[in-house]
Amino acid sequence: MEPLLEVDQLRVRFRTKGSVKALLEKDDDPFIDGVMGVSFTIHPGQTFGLVGESGSGKTTLARAVMGLVPVHSGAIRFNGKNLIGLNRGQIKPFRRDIAMMFQDPAGSLSPRLKIRSLLAEPFRIHNRMPDNLPDEIARLLKMVNLSPAMGDLYPHQLSGGQARRVGVARALALSPKLIIADEPTAGLDVSVQGEILNLMARLQDELGVSFLIITHNLAVVRHVSDHAAIMYLGRFLEQGPTQTVFHHMQHPYTQALLSAHASPDPDAVHHRIAIFGEIPSLFSRPRGCEFHTRCPRVRDVCRERFPKAADQEKAHQYFCHFPLSESLQ
Amino acid sequence: MTQPVLDISNLCVNYQTPKGTVQALRHIHLQVPPAKVVGLVGESGCGKSTLISAVIRLMAENAHVAAGKIRFMGLDMQGFSASELRGIRGRDISMVFQDPMTALNPVLTIGRQMVDIQYRDGLSRKKKRERAARMLERVGISDGLSRLDNYPHQFSGGMRQRITIAMALLVQPKLLIADEPTTALDATLEVQIIRLLKDLQTDFQCAILFISHHLNVIAELCDYVGVMYAGELVEKGTVRDIFHRPGHPYTRSLLECDPSVIEEPTRFLPTIPGDIPSLIDLPKGCIFQDRCAHVMTVCRKTPPPAVHLGDHHTAACHFLEE
Ligand SMILES: Nc1ncnc2c1ncn2[C@@H]1O[C@H](COP(=O)(O)OP(=O)(O)O)[C@@H](O)[C@H]1O
Ligand SMILES: Nc1ncnc2c1ncn2[C@@H]1O[C@H](COP(=O)(O)OP(=O)(O)O)[C@@H](O)[C@H]1O
Ligand code: SF4
Ligand code: SF4
Ligand SMILES: [Mg+2]
Ligand SMILES: [Mg+2]
Repeated sequence: MEPLLEVDQLRVRFRTKGSVKALLEKDDDPFIDGVMGVSFTIHPGQTFGLVGESGSGKTTLARAVMGLVPVHSGAIRFNGKNLIGLNRGQIKPFRRDIAMMFQDPAGSLSPRLKIRSLLAEPFRIHNRMPDNLPDEIARLLKMVNLSPAMGDLYPHQLSGGQARRVGVARALALSPKLIIADEPTAGLDVSVQGEILNLMARLQDELGVSFLIITHNLAVVRHVSDHAAIMYLGRFLEQGPTQTVFHHMQHPYTQALLSAHASPDPDAVHHRIAIFGEIPSLFSRPRGCEFHTRCPRVRDVCRERFPKAADQEKAHQYFCHFPLSESLQ
Repeated sequence: MTQPVLDISNLCVNYQTPKGTVQALRHIHLQVPPAKVVGLVGESGCGKSTLISAVIRLMAENAHVAAGKIRFMGLDMQGFSASELRGIRGRDISMVFQDPMTALNPVLTIGRQMVDIQYRDGLSRKKKRERAARMLERVGISDGLSRLDNYPHQFSGGMRQRITIAMALLVQPKLLIADEPTTALDATLEVQIIRLLKDLQTDFQCAILFISHHLNVIAELCDYVGVMYAGELVEKGTVRDIFHRPGHPYTRSLLECDPSVIEEPTRFLPTIPGDIPSLIDLPKGCIFQDRCAHVMTVCRKTPPPAVHLGDHHTAACHFLEE
């Protein structure tokens, strides 16, 4: 099957100083890398799970795919067509095909608008008013298991779970082929988290839509995604079929992330892989392998050179000089 | 039995609102023994923060303790004057919040704040700074003495939370209350903070009341656990009672919902369908009836009794046996 989304060596840079200041300070590279050469593919009807600690660049990557931040280099192909370099008119039809569910729905839903108006917004923004808007809104509410009466409420009158449903309904409005969900269950209670994920899975079965789900909850990714990627300081350190990444992981960071989860068994003996300290800032990107400041397997070479991909062609990819399957002498 | 540090009996708290009286806490019995960690777990809106605000007597203006007693070190909290309460809050009870900036002043250096908090101790300023620096290193911030001159914004979120923990412990409290202290942190930092709290608790031997909606964190840190639902403590017991032998249908469902305990990958996860009942218009009978898979007629008529399931273990359900 042809891929729906192909991201190739995508790089997003943020300017850190104005050009005059950079000149005065003789800084010939006044940029930081938010996304640093990321490649991945999403097929129709599939879910791609993206995990990483906060600050790893997940939201920046999502916004780049949405066309909301400028791309420095690389390609974003949607249905085979590179979106980078297209003008506004050319890109418009593609914009409708990719929808985003933003992190913090309460914050992204305008508090003054009723749910009904919030659901009409995507149609208005894309100049795609349906013939019968009320019917269309009722249909959207029904798709996410909300009663038509909910249309008359304001966002603050909704529970956390209901607000997320409205976010899902808004994303669905223009029948997109890809939905990017940034932390769709962050801040929700576990009993409600399942509801939202189940709703997304059901919609995928019914509509064939693809998902890019961003989360820092590994357990969620393990259940809902076909492919998983582990992001750190703007790079995918490991990616592959979810089962492979979870059960045959090769990258020490993946292993550390997995063992950093509290367990529901008070008697569990924790063989926790020590992961020291915190994710470094983009302003002081470590040389070589960026994970070396926290890696229990670090050697001299890691501080010098960023590792090459094990095998570019394989579905399972990782960047590490000393992958877990190799024993350390 | 040794005297509990905190002894809450029959606590009922209401909020007056234009729509009616919100019965946010109803008949809560909970004890925190010396040098133990007691966890309170429950979904948002179940009353965890209300309970804490009642304990430290810093309640919202429309809140009202309708019944019950709170004893701290054997003394009735109701009997203290406002200034005595301030003293207790500054010295005997420390707090750590979800957002570390609740406790930190953005325009003062960390060192200034950590020295100020020791105002009751008759030490020299130099000694207080040294103590503060040692405490910073104790919570994992290296180079403590020079970091004292930094401002809160010069630290990451995880570091700030370590600093608030250091500050909370500097006064050597008898009780540390932590309200969702790891909720805003990544899992990697969350486990670091839990580990830290555990180590510190062993060293300092203070009692901890730890509030979280995250079950696994409770399992890892706590000795005793209370499970709250819609303003009631529906089950309590030792951490093993709750996680190995849960009695109440709500506790069981909550444990089942956690995707990390489900081994086989599944696209459809268990949930607890339905919503929390209105706390203004409480249902007759069991508070969990609308969402309980085992509900029977009696549940809709009579409130369930607290059933003793073990030494420390009780749960409120009609279908449990002693
Ligand atoms: N417009 C911007 N200018 C400069 N830095 C930015 C900008 N947007 C994001 N960043 C930085 O990029 C990094 C990654 O952020 P983000 O993509 O939000 O990570 P995540 O979603 O994984 O938490 C952060 O360090 C953030 O401060
Ligand atoms: N000041 C207030 N006025 C009215 N209702 C309140 C107030 N504060 C909290 N509540 C209500 O009391 C209940 C318990 O809230 P809270 O103690 O904050 O729960 P939790 O901390 O477990 O999320 C909720 O239904 C909440 O809406
Ligand atoms: S390259 Fe070296 S430092 Fe980086 S993850 Fe592999 S072993 Fe660790
Ligand atoms: S009393 Fe009835 S409704 Fe309540 S938890 Fe027990 S079985 Fe369920
Ligand atoms: Mg983000
Ligand atoms: Mg709370």
